[in-house]
Amino acid sequence: MNTSVKKRSMAAEVWQRLCRNKMAMLGLGILVIMILGAIFADVIADYDTMVVAQDMKNRLQGPSAEHWFGTDEFGRDIFARILHGSRVSLVVGLISVSVSLIIGGSLGAFAGFYGGRVDNVIMRIMDIFLAVPSILLAMTIVAALGTDLIYVMLAIGVSGVPTYARIVRAAVMSVKDQEFVESARAIGASSPTIIFREILPNCMAPIIVQATLSVAGAILSTASLSFIGLGVQPPAPEWGAMLSSGRSYLRDAMHITLFPGLAIVITILALNLLGDGLRDALDPRLKQ
Amino acid sequence: MSDILLEVKDLKKYFETPAGTLHAVDGLTFKLERGKTLGVVGESGCGKSTTGRAILRLHEPTSGEVIFEGKDITKISQKEMTKLRSEMQMIFQDPFASLNPRKTVSEIIAEPLRLHKIYKNKEEQAKRVLELMELVGLSERLVNTYPHELDGGRRQRIGIARALAMNPKFIVCDEPVSALDVSIQAQILNLLKELQRDLGLTYMFITHDLSVVNYFSDEIVVMYLGKVVEHASSVDLFAHPTHPYTKALLSAIPVPSIHGKKERILLKGEITSPINPKPGCRFAPRCEYAKECCFKDSPELREMEPGHFVACHFADQF
Amino acid sequence: MADKQYSVEINDLAVRFSTVDGVVHAINGVDLKIEKGKTLGLVGETGAGKTTTALSILRLIPNPPGEITSGSIVLEGKNVFEYSEKEMENIRGKQVSMIFQDPMTSLNPVITIGDQIAEVIQLHEKIDAKGALEKAKEMLELVGIPGTRAGEYPHQFSGGMKQRVIIAMALVCNPQLLIADEPTTALDVTIQAQVLDLMQKLREKYGTSMLMITHDLGIVAEVCDEVSIMYAGRIVEHGTLEDIFDHTSHPYTEGLFGSLPNIEKRTEALKPIPGLMPDPTNLPEGCPFHPRCKYATELCKTRMPVKTDLSDTHSVRCLAYEEGTGVTLGGEKA
Repeated sequence: MNTSVKKRSMAAEVWQRLCRNKMAMLGLGILVIMILGAIFADVIADYDTMVVAQDMKNRLQGPSAEHWFGTDEFGRDIFARILHGSRVSLVVGLISVSVSLIIGGSLGAFAGFYGGRVDNVIMRIMDIFLAVPSILLAMTIVAALGTDLIYVMLAIGVSGVPTYARIVRAAVMSVKDQEFVESARAIGASSPTIIFREILPNCMAPIIVQATLSVAGAILSTASLSFIGLGVQPPAPEWGAMLSSGRSYLRDAMHITLFPGLAIVITILALNLLGDGLRDALDPRLKQ
Repeated sequence: MSDILLEVKDLKKYFETPAGTLHAVDGLTFKLERGKTLGVVGESGCGKSTTGRAILRLHEPTSGEVIFEGKDITKISQKEMTKLRSEMQMIFQDPFASLNPRKTVSEIIAEPLRLHKIYKNKEEQAKRVLELMELVGLSERLVNTYPHELDGGRRQRIGIARALAMNPKFIVCDEPVSALDVSIQAQILNLLKELQRDLGLTYMFITHDLSVVNYFSDEIVVMYLGKVVEHASSVDLFAHPTHPYTKALLSAIPVPSIHGKKERILLKGEITSPINPKPGCRFAPRCEYAKECCFKDSPELREMEPGHFVACHFADQF
Repeated sequence: MADKQYSVEINDLAVRFSTVDGVVHAINGVDLKIEKGKTLGLVGETGAGKTTTALSILRLIPNPPGEITSGSIVLEGKNVFEYSEKEMENIRGKQVSMIFQDPMTSLNPVITIGDQIAEVIQLHEKIDAKGALEKAKEMLELVGIPGTRAGEYPHQFSGGMKQRVIIAMALVCNPQLLIADEPTTALDVTIQAQVLDLMQKLREKYGTSMLMITHDLGIVAEVCDEVSIMYAGRIVEHGTLEDIFDHTSHPYTEGLFGSLPNIEKRTEALKPIPGLMPDPTNLPEGCPFHPRCKYATELCKTRMPVKTDLSDTHSVRCLAYEEGTGVTLGGEKA
């Protein structure tokens, strides 16, 4: 058999197409740096002496050679706190979005695919969830289960479920009546096979866009929870908590809020760039 | 009698719509011999595509029997049906919509093999895929291309290869060439004929194109609004069309010849809706011969000559 | 012979599109003439350049990516490329109108049928809204739709009815030239027969010239006076109905006829044209049809055939008809 017709692997091909997209590679680069920073945070800045130890003499100082991003109201180095905070924020952002995506996505896919009564039951339950403000929902869950980081992630994840259910349902409904779905049934595919192998791969675009956008929301929700004492407990660093605690000093020491804010913005930007690139790379029709 | 592969008895498929019950297929009966082709002709909305899907249980039939190799498949479980799907396949009309755009040619053709777990190792499966591609005239170098990179004719060949993967006995071809250009259409029709001869396939050929069906089928069923109006051998049907609708349909085909222009029967009005049909002949509102009784009683499908069935009250007068 | 009057004359038209995949040579030197009151059939497969030719007449080629690189289109004695955009707007719908393939998407779903036709009238004639609507109703009656239905919306009409509405809209300003781009492809045969019949009657009544774009030689036989066969952006054969149907000359035309199932002789095997339409970004050297032509010789691979007149009415682009090329059809197969 000819070697030139050897099967190309799907992943390799997606990667190849992703590499051609400069903006996506920029986003990926930023994310990789951030993840490396989170992994090696202890090497770069010591947790006990730089992140949690207070130094009231040097409070509210602007950026300098010693403290790159300045110090906060307790004199702690903001750069070190952002670095260590990225461990929490990145993990919370990614895990809670995955929770929403997996639960909401599957519910939406089933609702959209089966329609009728299944659709009605699932979507009405989602409507009930939507009626409760998501932060209230998250608060209730954390209050009931405890303030462990894992519960915080779960709580934020669950509050995002209805959004994903709606988006995936709509996408599935637009794809499920296409003839290739029927042709899969004609060769003997079962319903779950059809949903996961035929339909969902064709619904990736809206899902990826929503997922990258909602990482930002998840980080901010964690901050809100932290702010009312249900999220990450002080003095542990967390971007959202840093942002909200700096608010009262906005007039005199803007840098306290500026740098955590920038960290969030850059993360989201990087995720969006990567998400856009991924969406295009996953679609073979856009290949040139 | 001869070797009957498929027998359909009084098949009905109704859909509930907000406007009422849609009688898509209303009492279809026929027998199909092994190795033969049954053509199903009619205009859009006559229920011909639903017929094909109901026989394969892609739409669950409302009532009636579909006897495939002596077994009534409307009565068996979904699980058994899934197994039977390897013997009964379908080729779809739109080669653009019927292939998953995210899969490569080889993945699409291998799909049924994978689903039915035919081969234990990947090499054997890949070999079978290449065999199938050769069978339908697709070059080996196309294995990794995506459907959108190919033209309609090649895409339709992929659809055919996928249908043949499980060595089926019976294939429903739903307008397999109507989306293709004339020269490509002829290539695909020839391919289907060759495959039938070499593999002993039995076809149900659904189309709106009478010249294609005439070329392709042994027997033809003409449908109008879910009902069979005429059923005969191809030779008979074209030589002696009896039902007024069949006559009009035949006369409406534009013939690519400038000699011997035939008289054209122009039908008045348009096809009505098969939702909550009134009693009586469904063709009556457009029929020039319609009498009072046509609006009251549904005509039965009667055998006018051996093997030639017509559903018209006045069939013996034409 | 007396001078023939032409409603449109296309000379050496070439259109190309610049795309990411390269330059698409959609039309490469097309000559077309439609005599006043006659119908010309433009036949070819997907991608042959039929629709692009039609859009060029109305100057509707999107630019970018499209670009008309040479040629002229003379309407009523004046080259359309010399008109201003404003003048062109007056010509569209008034002097030349077009019927598109898909009746389902050519009508605005939120405006009533009557208003849509009246709008066309008001664009081109000095007439008040009431008068225009009156005229729209008359036009509907003419195409066999009761005028009382003028207040209904497109979704209340069936496919055949919509195509009638579109025909009414196209003919309401009494154009000199009607371009019909596969007007019946989306319709059922019995409805197609009705629509073709209607178009014929109206055309005769108003003396409109027509460019009928189709892939169906059966329709051509029925409604056209002359035929041009198009392949890869060129007219490969042109002639009267009799020339094309009874004295088929170009191997491609022959292939088209061979691909059609013969309704009279059902046992006759189809003789399809092998291969595919050439890629318009990368047209083959020499005669563009040579890779699919069963008579092709070495010379066909390098030399582009020129237009050869076989008679006053019949012309063909094939080396076999040029003198001294040594290419023959039939006798010796390459």
